This record gives sequence, C-alpha cells and structure tokens, in this order.
Amino acid sequence: MKIISLNMKKIALLAMSIGLFAACSSDDDTNVDDTSEEVSDSRWITVAAARMGEDPGDGNGGTLIYAVSTEDARNPDVTIAPFDNGFIAQSNRTARLQSSEDGTTIFNISYGGDTGGNFVRYTVEGGQNFVQSGSEINIAPYVGTAPRWVKLFDGDQTGAAVYVDNENEFDEDGNYLRTEATMGIVVLDLQNSEIKDFQEHSVTLSPEEEAEGYYISRIDMPALNAAGTKLYIGARLSKLDPATTESESDYEVLGSKTIVVDYPSLQNPTVITSTVGHGDTNGYRSINAFEYNGSVYQANQNDPEGSHILKIDANNQYDDSYDFNLDAALGVQGAYILAWRPAGNGKAVVAYRHNGSAEGVAGAQGFFALVDLNAKTGQTINEIPYDPDFYLFQYQGYVVQGSDIYLTQAAVGQNGNIYVVDTETGEVTKGAELVNATGSHFIGVF
Amino acid sequence: MKLFILLFTISLSAFSQQSQNTISGKVVDNLGQPILGATVSLPSNTKVALTDANGLYELRNISEGTFVVTTSYMGFASQSKEVSFNKDGAKTVVLNFNLSEDVKSLDQVLVQGKSEKAKIETSGFAVDVVKLEEASLRNIQTNELLNTTVGVKIRQNGGLGSETNYSLNGLSGNAVRIFIDGIPIATYGSSFSLNSIPTSMIENIEVYKGVVPGHLADDALGGAINIILNKDAKTNLNASVSYGSFNTLQASVNGLYRFDDSGFTVKGSLFHNSSDNDYEVSGRSVVVTGLGGTQTPITAKRFNDAYRSTGGMAQVGFTDVKWADQFFVGVTGSDDYKEVQHGAFMTITPYKDRFLESDALLANLTYQKKNLFTKGLDVNVNGAYGKRNRVVNDTVAWAYSWNGERAVDFRGEEYQYIWGSQQEGGPTLATIKRKVASIRSGVSYEINEHHKFLGNHVYSGTDREDSDELKSVLENAFVGTRDLRKNIYSLSYELTALDKRLKASVFGKHYQQKTISNDPSIAQDSEGNDIIVDEIVESNNTNNGYGFASSYAITSNVILLASAEKAIRLPDETEVFGNDGDNVVANSSIKPEQSENFNLGFRFGRFNINKHGFTISTNVFTRNIKDRIGLPIETSLNIDDELIVYVNQGSGTSKGIDAQVNYSYDNNFGLNFNVSRFDLQIESNGVEVEVPNTPFFTMNGGLRYSFENLLQKESRLNLFYNIYFTDEFSYLPSQGTNTVGDEFFAIPQQLSQDIGISYAFPNKKLVASFDVKNIFDEALFDNLSVQKPGRAFYLKLNYSINKF
Repeated sequence: MKIISLNMKKIALLAMSIGLFAACSSDDDTNVDDTSEEVSDSRWITVAAARMGEDPGDGNGGTLIYAVSTEDARNPDVTIAPFDNGFIAQSNRTARLQSSEDGTTIFNISYGGDTGGNFVRYTVEGGQNFVQSGSEINIAPYVGTAPRWVKLFDGDQTGAAVYVDNENEFDEDGNYLRTEATMGIVVLDLQNSEIKDFQEHSVTLSPEEEAEGYYISRIDMPALNAAGTKLYIGARLSKLDPATTESESDYEVLGSKTIVVDYPSLQNPTVITSTVGHGDTNGYRSINAFEYNGSVYQANQNDPEGSHILKIDANNQYDDSYDFNLDAALGVQGAYILAWRPAGNGKAVVAYRHNGSAEGVAGAQGFFALVDLNAKTGQTINEIPYDPDFYLFQYQGYVVQGSDIYLTQAAVGQNGNIYVVDTETGEVTKGAELVNATGSHFIGVF
Repeated sequence: MKLFILLFTISLSAFSQQSQNTISGKVVDNLGQPILGATVSLPSNTKVALTDANGLYELRNISEGTFVVTTSYMGFASQSKEVSFNKDGAKTVVLNFNLSEDVKSLDQVLVQGKSEKAKIETSGFAVDVVKLEEASLRNIQTNELLNTTVGVKIRQNGGLGSETNYSLNGLSGNAVRIFIDGIPIATYGSSFSLNSIPTSMIENIEVYKGVVPGHLADDALGGAINIILNKDAKTNLNASVSYGSFNTLQASVNGLYRFDDSGFTVKGSLFHNSSDNDYEVSGRSVVVTGLGGTQTPITAKRFNDAYRSTGGMAQVGFTDVKWADQFFVGVTGSDDYKEVQHGAFMTITPYKDRFLESDALLANLTYQKKNLFTKGLDVNVNGAYGKRNRVVNDTVAWAYSWNGERAVDFRGEEYQYIWGSQQEGGPTLATIKRKVASIRSGVSYEINEHHKFLGNHVYSGTDREDSDELKSVLENAFVGTRDLRKNIYSLSYELTALDKRLKASVFGKHYQQKTISNDPSIAQDSEGNDIIVDEIVESNNTNNGYGFASSYAITSNVILLASAEKAIRLPDETEVFGNDGDNVVANSSIKPEQSENFNLGFRFGRFNINKHGFTISTNVFTRNIKDRIGLPIETSLNIDDELIVYVNQGSGTSKGIDAQVNYSYDNNFGLNFNVSRFDLQIESNGVEVEVPNTPFFTMNGGLRYSFENLLQKESRLNLFYNIYFTDEFSYLPSQGTNTVGDEFFAIPQQLSQDIGISYAFPNKKLVASFDVKNIFDEALFDNLSVQKPGRAFYLKLNYSINKF
C-alpha cells in the first residue's frame, strides 16, 4: 500500500509539473529546442512488464504498462510496480508494443485471442493512465490474429505488418518443384488509425535454393531505408527434403536474406543475400533493423558463427565488406542477438545470450552489451547485475534519449531496476527500482 | 485407520444402551430389494425410524400396550401391522414389511430408481448418479443435465453440437474419461457423443469424481463419466420429437420387443438432431469493417454454425434366459455434420463454409449374466469394433463478415484471405480414418454377503490414417501416423461388515499402453533403388495405481464416505511421439501424469418427516497432480528449431467442496440445490499460480411442482424452474490489487434461468413439454467472448407404450 500511495503522490506531482510546463511552453519554445541535446527534457518512460501465465518467464499472464517521468526513471529511490498498479494492455499473449518517438503515445496490436490483430492507440498520461484515442481497426483479415508488426521510423506515421503463407508446388508427375511463399504486407496510418495499403506477392529464392527445398517460412521486422523508398523485411528460411516434403532440421544455413520492396508502392519484391552473415533476419518481438547514417543495420539470429550486425547500404544491397560479428567483438561463442537499439551516435545497446549463458528458469541467461557500429567493437555492460534467471528472449523496448539508452533489468520473479546507459561515455546509471511478481519479468521501456 | 477406530467406538457406544421393548425388521419392495429411507412409525409418530440402505429399522424403548406399526415410502402403498407388548419385561419383536408399488403414482419409476441411485451414491465413492427419466421427457440435452450436476462443469463453444470440454472438480480435458457402457466414448467419435445421443436412450449417468471404481478402470486422472444406455428388458416403444428456437429439431425412437417364450429380444434406437444455431451474438469482435478498416459493431446472427447428426443402434439377442441376463450383438452407426463459425474465440473474421463431418460404424457385443455356473459369480462383457472417420473441410478463400455477407477490405472491395481458407493454415480436406476397438470384461464373485472380488479388463486401440485430398500424392505418402493400444487391468475387493454399516472396496489397477509411431521414409533396396519404408517406433508405458472407497453408516441416515486413489494418466500418442507436421518430436522418456485424489463426504438422509423429505450431501476433495504433461515455453533456443518435445513440467492441486440439498414435499414439490467451489493451482519450476480461465464457483438450483388431475382426471402437470450461477472468472491469472484494464479479460458473473412445463395425459402414453431457456436473454459465456444462445423456446412430445 505504501508503494501505491507514494506513486499516487508522484503522479499528482508529475501531472502538476507537466501542467506548469505546458502552460509555459509557448514562451520557452526556442529554449526547449536549444536544450534538446541535454537529457533534461522530461518525457514519459513507459515500463512494460509481462506476468507469468503457466510457466515462469512465459509472459502469457498479461502485459502491464506503467509510465513515469524520465526524472523518476533515473531515480533509484523511486519504485515502480506495474504488476500492482499497471494498465493491462489488450492482448491475449504478450503484447507487441510500440511507442511514439516522444513517448506520448503507445501503439499496441493485440496478439492472439478474440481481438487479435486489433490496433489501439493510447495517450500516455502517467502512471496507469493510458487513454485510448482514435478508433480501433483490425489487421487480422490481412495478416492473421497474431500479427508481426513494427512501427517504421518515419515520424510515427506508419506501422507495417507482414505475413507469409507457404504451399508446396509439384510437377505433373507429382515431383516436388518448390515451395511457394506468398507474402502479405499491410501498412497502417498510425495517426489516423487507418489501413493505408495491403499488397500480396510471391517471393522467390534462386532456382538452386528452391530445388533443394529452401523456402521463406517466416517474415517480420519491416524497416524503411534512409531515402524512404524501400522497405526491408527480415526473413527466416526453412528447408524440406524434396524427396519426401518432410521438414529437415539439420541443414546448411544459407547467407542471411532480406526481402526488399518498393515503398510506398509495396511492389517489386526482391531478395538480397549477405555473404557475411548466415541465418535469420526476422528477429523476434523487438525491432531488428535500424537506419543509421544512411544505411540500415540489421541483426541476424541463428547464425552458426554467432550473430552479426549486417549493413544494407543506400543501394539496397548488403555491404559485404562490413563484417561485425558479435562473437568476435565480445569474445564469446554463439552470440545470439535478442533485441537491440542504436542511439544516433552509432553506438547501440544489444541484449544477447551466448553458448556460455547459464540455463535459467526460463531458458538461457541474457546480457546487455554496448557496441559501436563504426568501430565494430563491443563490451558487455558489467554495471548491470546478471542472474541465471535474467532472461531477455521477450525483451522488446529501449528508449533512446540523445545518447542515453534506457533499459529494464530484472531476473524472472526478482526485483530489478531501470538502467540508463550513456552510449557516449559508457557510463551506466542505476535508475528506479522495478518491483517484480512471481515468475514474471520486464520486457522493456517505451 | 484412526478414523475407522473412532467410528467403530462411536457406533459401539450408540448401541450399548439397554432398552425396554424393541421392534425391528426389514422393509423390502415387491422384488425383495431393500428400501432405503422408508418411514416406520408408531401412531401419532410417537416413535419414528427410517430404514437403512439394507432396509433395516429398529424402534426401541417401547412401553407396554398394543400398537399399530405403519411403514410408508414414496411411490409405495403404506402398510400397517399390529403388535402387542405385555408386562413380561423387555421383548423384541421382528416385523418385516413387503411394500408394493403404488401404481397410481406416476412417480413410481422415479422413486424406485432413487433407491438404486442412493445405493451407488452411498457405496463410498464420490459419485453422482444422474437419472434421465424426467429429463428425457423435457427439452433438456444430456450436456445440460450434466452441467447441473454438482462438481461437473461443461464448457461449450457455442450451441448444440459445438465442441465441449468436461471438467470434474477442476480437472478437465484428457484427465476426464467418458464411457458409454464402459467403452471409451472416443471409440465412437463425435457423431455418437453426448451432443448427439438422445436422453431417451440413456438410463442414467454415473459421474465418478477423483476415484474411479475398478469396474470402470481407465487412465482417468480426474474422474470418469459413464453413460449407461437403457438396459430394460421389457417390451416397449418410445418416440419423441422436440422442436424449437434456431430451427432446432431433435427426434428419437427407441423400441424393444421381447418374445417371452424364447427370450429372443430385438432392440433398436434411432435419433436425429439438427439445428441452425443461428442465435444472435454481439460484442467487441462482432463488427462489420469498411473503408480504411473502420469497424461498425452489429448484432449478428450466427450464419455458419448448423449442426446435424443422425444415428442409431440395432441389437438382437436374448434377455433373461438361463445362460444370459442380456446377450446382444448389433451395430451402432452415426453421422454428423457441424459447421464451424469461428476458432477458439469469436474474432472479427467469422468463418464461412468451414465444417467438420464425421461418421462411425461399429459392431457391438453385450453379455451379462449374474450367478453364472454358481451363485455369486457375475460376468459382463461389452465390446465395440469398427471404424470412424473425420473430415475437416475448409476451402473457401473469400472473407466473410459478421453480417453473413462477403466482407470488404479497406478499399471497399471483396477480398480473399492470403492463407486461402477461413482458418489460418491454408485450405484443407484433412481426413482422419481410424480403426477402433474396445472391449471391457468384468468378472465378480461374491463369496458371501461380506466379501466380493472383482476383476476387470479393458482394451482400447486406435489405428489411424491421415490424408488430405488437397495435398499432393507425395505429401500424403509421407504423412506419419500414431497408433495407440491400451490395456488396463483392475482387481477389487469389496467388504461389507459391521451389520452392513461398513462398506469398503480396495482396488489396484495396472496400466499398460503401447504407442506406435509410423513415419514413412526413403531407404535403398538391395539394388540401390529408392523405396518407401515405414519407420516404426514403439513405446511401452506401464504403471500401477490403487485406491479405496468406503462408507460407514453412523446411523441409517448419516453416512460417512471416504475414498482415495493414486490415479494415472498415460501420455497419449501425440505426447510420446509428437504430431507429424508439427515441430514436436518424440520424448520416449515422458512419464505419465499422476494424481493423488482424496474425497471425504457426508450424506445426511434421506430424512422423512411427515410429508417432508430431504437429503443433504457434501464432499470435500483434493487432487494433487504430479508430472503434468505440456509443451515447454518458447525460448530463443527452441523457437526456430524442430526439437520441441512434450515434457513433465510440474505439479498442480485442486481443492474444493461440493454440496447438495434435495427436498421434497408430499410427492408434489421438489427442490434441489447444489454448489461447487474449488481452487486450482499449478506449479512450474517452483512457482505456483492459480490457473486462469477456470470457472471455480458454480451453483445450480431447481424447483418442481406437480398438480394431479388439474385439467383432466388421471393427468399430471409439472412446472419446473431452474437457475444456474457461474461466478466471474478471468482469462488471465489474477492481477495486482490496483491494476486497470482487467475487465477486458473477465468473463462476468452469469445467472441464467429456465422455466418449463410438462403435461402427462391421462392415458400415460403421451407427455408434452414446453421449455423456455435463458428466459431473461442473458449473454452467457463458457469461454472468453464466445457467446452462447440467448432466450429459446422448445416444445417436445413423447409417446410411449409399454405393452403391445
């Protein structure tokens, strides 16, 4: 109860200060712009937490969100308890959340259940107050009730969700030819809650790859190029045995592939292949590819050599001269990037696991590293405490403010903290305490 | 053990008081069966006793004089006898009564049935016997009747014919085994199920909670439901037809003809059910979408939910002959069609023209004989052998809207789903053909009235073949199959002691299951050519379980019931071998699920005071589950590979209480009420959570009032009222004290009421019933957002002849 009343007080204070800030803002416009490089700008930091469903760490028992100011987020004396005081986002399984760049709006598309595919906008008003704004729309008719979607970096204008449907094709004699992959892309107007476009395409691999039984089995994580003219869509490849059409599990992993389509027309799909990285580029639940300095940097997963960060240049081709291997950078084996986010300076925070990760209650232990996209170097962030039950598979959100990156740390079922990483100096600040619940974990900040 | 000593002491002390004159004796019916709960009284009720389960009574401390002793029991003609005591000192007189049925009472069958029901219900098990005589005359479906049984919760994904899940004291799914005459209902498939079998074919339903007697042995972790089809060997014909809302038609004919000279008997049943299930629904997913994806909520009629089932059973054989009480061979055939309106939830994309078809054709055999060769040796055999098929049909790619029309996309144009079918997953004509066999045999030997031994064996086997016409020859050729063979043996010992006050049975069960995985693959023959070979892998699983059930009559009306079992559920073929086509692979070391189940109950009654009669019973239970079988959580290690296996992943507990009250007044008025409450928790990796999506608190009540000779002489009019309550439960585990947004996942408290009227015409052959269900048109849900039918009206006519 003490925590609750404390928080209520803080919310009230915060609301008042926001009110004052808003009242003065017309005079201070230039002032605000001038200081925007500083971290003093207050904004909402929405903490997302995933309650245990049946098993510790499964995150299926509800996704709870709770918003605090940056000041509170950075203050280790503040306690945040979303499991007690949060707002439950509408989603049957762990919600896939996105936020506006300034943190004032949360976008959610319900994952699974009766409202699966439903898009909702919430205006962040602090604490557990998330006010639904705009009408509801649903993208399930185009991409199913468990949509794989992200927000594009175009000033919070657009969201994109993708779907792939597979069907095996045979010749007249019944011999296997290839597996068709039909890709659907739906584009949402986030501001007006409207479906803008939907296109369907067949996506092909090389005839040799297709004859061997390779096909694109899952796609996710669309990202816009710097010019805003192409959409890159991450892909996972699977393989079947052409003689039996049965799935194979132990096969040669091909070079990482990305589907490129024209934007905004969503036409002319092509597939580009990296010779540096192997394995999938579809990520899991958090944005997997970001534009920086004119190129798009994309993490890969299930790479036999450990995850790479790959680079797609302005010419919309992989830059195979750019070889950033996380194993090499961190000195580990089998690094696997779970979720990452660069700041504007080319330095990024990466959540990863590796072969040496302890086996915790919900799978492999996770770590955070600070990496430099330009220097292709990395360092595990040792100021953050690690526990075998610290688990980042479902990790979704970082907040970037200038060169600072906010993240959540809490082992399954244990309390943790918000941490703020100054990517420029490498300085790590321990922020507000996160109060956990049994078997549950935190999935990031927005 | 301590409990028994205690009870023994109590009972001894109760009997050690010395009395003056005593009258004792036994009350039996015209068949010589003891009557439980008959009233034996002296004039003006100065002394009253009730008979126990063995029909025995005792009236003590009677002073000298001449008395008229009267005994009465509902449905039987009262009887009086005179007795005198003189001053010669304490004396005991034995007065036995042989009551004959009161033929004027329409309730005769009911009352006679109740004594049999009471017999099973006081045998020590946590068991409820649901009688169907009355229900079969009304517009009530078997599932509805079961749902009002204490401790049972049925969750249905829509109206008549829709997918049903049964829960006993919180344990559900494959923890609950359902039988038809001891044969696993899965043998028959969905076309001959609790959705389709007419109530008039069923004699009664036994619901065993937690502890299942040896004669019904199966790997039933949470209990068993046994549907007992009519066993009557008297010539009769019964026909009924019911019609009502949503174009629902249910018709059935049952007949039996017995040649009295030879005992040759012909028996047949036919049924037909159909419903459009086009009831109205609304809610957050019932919308029509327009330009840009805008949504307009509507109230829609379900348009792809029709159900149709037809079936029957024909048997020939002999009844009540020297070598058999019952011997029948016959066939059971059934066929059903069910449209599917939506998946597990109601979403904004309702299905059109997705449907399931199934059929079954089985030969059956029944043999029952009491006192075979020698007195006390009873034998029964029940078997079914045949095949059943099921097809899922989903080939329409066009999207439909909740208004039943083609849906339009954000551009305003009709569109097809990218996955080419209604349900995500692609067009399908998936066909499963199964060869099924099941046979249950039981032998029991009663050495004397104290000791009885029973042996039972049940075999069930399934051979399965999968194909899909929409898939290529190659794909179909390499579809793997999973077969199952299960043998369960049980041995029971039943003891009746302490003047029949103590009844106990102990049993052991031996489980043996073979699962067979058959995966075609390519190999080379001796000449190096590719050939298709079947890779067959077998897995054997054996296990043992045991348990006991006992009842002790503290007085003839107060019975203590206790039972316990170490129950087992063997991993099924999918859990051992995974499903071909899924990412699930074999785990040959998977252990069975286990549960230690305990029941402790009391039964008070039946007490008859003047014209009032009542029974109260209650049961407290715990289920302690170990080695729950499930899929592990998704992690970065298994999300993309093919190596997911079913695992034993923790324990669970269900604790709760069931209670029920039955009250009747003078044959005219009846009231029953029951309440069930439990707490279900599971434990995984040392963390305990309450299982969400569980209706944990339910109450049901019913009233009945009868008028005799109201409209016509010799007629009977019954009025019924029923009320059902389910407390709020959430799809999510319980959240924090101060969270918001919880209501999105809540299934709100539900209260539904039905009324009915039935009229038995004076000739006793025709009964007409009219029922109104959900009279206040409440929105009802068994599952999140899946709305059940609103207010509905049904009319039913029954016609029966008992003599030709």
